[in-house]
Amino acid sequence: MTGNDLVDLNQAASDSNWQRKGYLDKIYTLAEQKILIASKDQNETVWLLWSMKEAAYKIYSRQTGIRNYAPCSLQCFDLQPDAHKVNGKVKVADHLFYTESFISANYIHTIAALSMASLTEIKVKIYTYPDTLFDYRSTEPQCVSHHGKYLALVY
Amino acid sequence: MDRKEIIDRLKPIIKTYAPAQVKEKLEELTEDADFIQDLYINSANLVDIILDVEEEFNITIDNESMEKMLTVKASIDIIITKLSEK
Repeated sequence: MTGNDLVDLNQAASDSNWQRKGYLDKIYTLAEQKILIASKDQNETVWLLWSMKEAAYKIYSRQTGIRNYAPCSLQCFDLQPDAHKVNGKVKVADHLFYTESFISANYIHTIAALSMASLTEIKVKIYTYPDTLFDYRSTEPQCVSHHGKYLALVY
Repeated sequence: MDRKEIIDRLKPIIKTYAPAQVKEKLEELTEDADFIQDLYINSANLVDIILDVEEEFNITIDNESMEKMLTVKASIDIIITKLSEK
């Protein structure tokens, strides 16, 4: 099973003010807030953690049938940055997901899987508007993420 | 505070984060509406709605309550419960 999530950083900057009082406490655990404070680019890290949680949640909700809004129950840990890539893990109750995030100047895209091995088998396609306007469902992607001007498909 | 009054106070909050096509139809907002699936609220903006609700009704929404806040109906239920605990 595969999950993905893309954050268009320009869209996020215009839609969300994560510096708003109380915002980070609602979505990030204290351990995650420590990762955030220690990071060089806090804006980037806010959306990196968010896309990790979203990608993991997409598998978790499909696996369990649970639909809820509990960002703090999805816990990101063991982040391993490497050039433009960050590997990490997300824990939800007794479920564990492996993630890999690609960070560019304009977006962050995370893929999630049940094991490191299956993570490497995932094929990613990212399209920019207006190239996003095609019948992508017919290509039968395993997971779809659409944000701002980007469309990310995983197979 | 009755459910009608709560929904009327929720409308301007939702309006701030909803896309244009949803904003136009907010007068017809029903309790069954799902923030993400029906009102196209971005999941990162759902936090803003929750923070705005806390300010508007002067209540604190704990994580356990927040978990259920995916629909207008669930939000009204939580607001009523939190107001009654004050």
